[in-house]
Amino acid sequence: MSPADNEKLDQVFSAIREEAEKRRKAFREAPVPKIHIGMATCGIASGALETKKAFEETLAERNIEALIHPVGCIGHCYAEPVVIIDHPDSGFPPIFYHEVTAGKAKMLVKLFLEEGDPRFEHILGATVENDLIPSVMEFSRFNQEKRVVMEKCGYIDPEDIYDYIAEGGYSMLVKVLQLTPDKIIKEVRNSGLRGRGGAGFPTGKKWELAMHAEGQIKIVICNADEGDPGAYMDRTILESNPHQVLEGMAICAYAVGANKAVVYIRAEYPLAVKIVTKAIQQAKELGLLGKGILSSTFDLEIDVFRGSGAFVCGEETALIRSIEGYRGMPRHRPPYPVEKGLWGHPTVINNVKTLASVPPILENGATWFRGIGTENSPGTAIFSVVGNVVHAGLVEIPMGVTLRTLIFDICGGILNKKKFRAVQIGGPSGGCLPADLLDTPIDFDSLTEAGAMMGSGGMVVMDEDTCMVDVARYFLDFTQKESCGKCTFCRIGTHHLLRILERLTKGEGQDKDLEQLESLSEDIKTGSLCGLGKTAPNPALTSLKYFRDEYEAHVKEKRCPALMCRSLIAYYFDLDLCARGCDACATCCPVEAVFTTSNRKKGVDQELCVKCGECMVACPPEYDAVRKVSPSNLVPVVERAPEKK
Amino acid sequence: MPKLLVDNKEIEVKEGTTLLQACLDNGIYIPNLCYLESMDDPSASCRMCFVEIEGEEKPITSCTVTVKDDMVVKTDTLSVRRLHRTAFRLLLSVHHVDCKNCHVNKKCELQRIAKYLEVGLKPKHLEQHLKEPDIDQDHPFLDYYPNRCVLCGKCIHICRKKHGQSVLTFAKRGFDTVISSYGKNDVSSLACEKCVVCVDICPVGALILKEAQE
Amino acid sequence: MNQELTTEEQAALKNIAAKLSTFERQRGNLIPVLQMIQEEIAYLPPETLKMVAEHLGIFECEVYGVATFYNQFRFRPPGKHPIKVCLGTACHVRAGDIILENFERKLEISEGETTPDREFSIERVACVGCCAMAPVAIIGETVHGQMAPSKVEGLLMRIEIEKEMEEREKQKNESGR
Repeated sequence: MSPADNEKLDQVFSAIREEAEKRRKAFREAPVPKIHIGMATCGIASGALETKKAFEETLAERNIEALIHPVGCIGHCYAEPVVIIDHPDSGFPPIFYHEVTAGKAKMLVKLFLEEGDPRFEHILGATVENDLIPSVMEFSRFNQEKRVVMEKCGYIDPEDIYDYIAEGGYSMLVKVLQLTPDKIIKEVRNSGLRGRGGAGFPTGKKWELAMHAEGQIKIVICNADEGDPGAYMDRTILESNPHQVLEGMAICAYAVGANKAVVYIRAEYPLAVKIVTKAIQQAKELGLLGKGILSSTFDLEIDVFRGSGAFVCGEETALIRSIEGYRGMPRHRPPYPVEKGLWGHPTVINNVKTLASVPPILENGATWFRGIGTENSPGTAIFSVVGNVVHAGLVEIPMGVTLRTLIFDICGGILNKKKFRAVQIGGPSGGCLPADLLDTPIDFDSLTEAGAMMGSGGMVVMDEDTCMVDVARYFLDFTQKESCGKCTFCRIGTHHLLRILERLTKGEGQDKDLEQLESLSEDIKTGSLCGLGKTAPNPALTSLKYFRDEYEAHVKEKRCPALMCRSLIAYYFDLDLCARGCDACATCCPVEAVFTTSNRKKGVDQELCVKCGECMVACPPEYDAVRKVSPSNLVPVVERAPEKK
Repeated sequence: MPKLLVDNKEIEVKEGTTLLQACLDNGIYIPNLCYLESMDDPSASCRMCFVEIEGEEKPITSCTVTVKDDMVVKTDTLSVRRLHRTAFRLLLSVHHVDCKNCHVNKKCELQRIAKYLEVGLKPKHLEQHLKEPDIDQDHPFLDYYPNRCVLCGKCIHICRKKHGQSVLTFAKRGFDTVISSYGKNDVSSLACEKCVVCVDICPVGALILKEAQE
Repeated sequence: MNQELTTEEQAALKNIAAKLSTFERQRGNLIPVLQMIQEEIAYLPPETLKMVAEHLGIFECEVYGVATFYNQFRFRPPGKHPIKVCLGTACHVRAGDIILENFERKLEISEGETTPDREFSIERVACVGCCAMAPVAIIGETVHGQMAPSKVEGLLMRIEIEKEMEEREKQKNESGR
């Protein structure tokens, strides 16, 4: 573009930016308290809507003026609903509150907003350093994070484009529109950014291939078909800061020469669909998307395509088929989508996190980005750390941090003081790593070497009560159900793997099963057509490698060491501890398997028991009389259950 | 015309030919079930036609490779054979082996492959998992046997090729995938009873004309 | 699969036909069209597959093949209160399958089925992304976190009570007229 055009571009955008800053100033300087409520899916699931309503009602009732600012998710799911109250008149800094239920919201309005008492017992910390309240930055859950992609998540209103612009949003799009595409691609290449969808392909290289690919029409697709069970980073980003992703897409589209883009979002994410659709609309209204973006000659239309529930559509060729209106079955690559993608046009498919990394990279430069993380995996990794861990939620850390630091330091270790058993990384394509690999640094290559994989960022922490054979069975059950059915190895092979694992967890395994599990797994890995099949055996292979003794206990002793496989365990009551006359367990048993013995203590009718473990939860801690054993024949028979009529 | 070396035999084929086709044309058999020369984009779904190509790290399906000059190919190495046999055994583990009551007995592609790979038709290593029901009689003229079908998709391809659209489709997903002829109106528009290209192309006798059975 | 359509459903079909005409006759519209139908009528009755095939100019079996591929599409009407039990990894580790079993036992139907009175249906879903609150069940639109077998009964009871109250309210209104 000519200098005159650039000037015009800057002019058009600075008008928008001024408006955004004006609005932000008005909001910030309003002489009333501000209440920021996290309203992403996990916040809403924890009751954020009720919390918001309670704030609104109580404010109205008590006639207090305050501004409610719905924001996205800051990633601290264990503390949802999360609320930040900024009440300058009270003399306190802005404060993070955790688990703000409707009741707490009412209380905070009355006691804090009205009377100035911040109620220390509900505080997570202050958002900034100060002399009155410890700042959240003193906790490792906050201070060891490095937010690049999620920097603005949880602080801006995802449904208000001006919020993003006031924070510097879309200025990188304005900048790149004044550059030549190869300059942009060079910068992305130099940053060393690798695809955050799991495989880690260099993003700059992909863009370059697409730029040089032959074709009048080119397309950019944002892959938000986040299907790994236990992973929800992409959803959170889309729900909390959709514009950063859109800006990344626009930059990519400009760089590769695309005028059409699609955000492919999973069906299970209705809120993300709504928010992204609205964001696109808002960006169009301001001329940041659509025809002649910001008076330039660059056009870009972005559409939302909703997936329909098929995990395999996360695979790029299957994703393309599904947008085209066909069964989402992957096809052989090459040709890769950058040569021949959607409707046959060269297509760049990038993950949400990859695209959202682009604006910060361009803003701070490739060298800055390379300064974060490791040599071969620069930047940050975002994980959803869930399972038996204290501070579950989304964590963005520099690549290279060890698993131990992430799980024990940042996320507070294992729940209920249990022992660590394994960490599952990479979902159905990944693997379970044992305690002696906890010092593995988190980066693409180290995790792959250990037998897991980066995947899209799901991390499930498992304690000593988790059976590794059952976890492998669980994942095979998943992939087997999600296999598209096209190729022989995946369609039939995973089915056999699952059947073998099912036999093991039921205590019906034989010696040759382990051998067959291994050899079939190897063949499925080499023989399958697409990534889903090629990685499907990983959960079985890694657990077999690191937890073979557990497999053998299942086969040889019919014993589940973690006391988890329900066919191999039995519950009973320790009669020395069981309290006479107590009925806590009996009332909660869903199948009436608990009976009263002749001395008015309790027994378990093993025939009826479904092994749900409710009695164990219900038994008052002062008695703690419920026991589990494996193999199930070890259960002491004290008294037979009475004959049921 | 590219010249290549397959199992130490030099062959010369037309540019743009797939490796599988090149081998088959020159009398070198590679087990295959889902490939047809008329397919623009082979589905590579049966995973039988693995070969080793010099310079490639892993075995690769020969139907997805276009021949190149000086390519050196092996069709019978240990790792290639292992994949052939596993894929084949997997297919057999869901195949209702009842050859003497099957109309394609002695013409069946599975019998041919079994002989070639020296694998028995009754699976020893894997449990058998069959679908219910054993026969689908929805189509007015055709019966479909899901426990014979290898889901190669040739029937769908050939029907589409001949009629522009196919009255057959893959339906459901994963292990439950079947061939379906859902939708009666479309079937009647094609006069299936006179066509039967799908029956003829089926390598394993999974489709059969109803009247032929009586 | 061939069930009698209720009068409401027949009305919905008319609505669908009208909406269908707003979609261009393009193959790429197949999935959005099916999604639209399911939003209108909660499942895909055979009549609708035919309408879609005619509108897009493709064979019915093509529509059927695509629709049966994706988890989202149902071919039977779901219950008034569809129950989805999450069996994502985090939910599995925290015994989501026991929650599913409890729903199945209480409602006397299996996963994928609807109660005869069409009040409830149970589905298993693969991760709804609320892993930090595992195990999770979704009834209607509401997500219930930290589920326990004993909570299952409570939730179902609440729905029953709400229904009774609604009916009583209705009766009151009617008799009041």
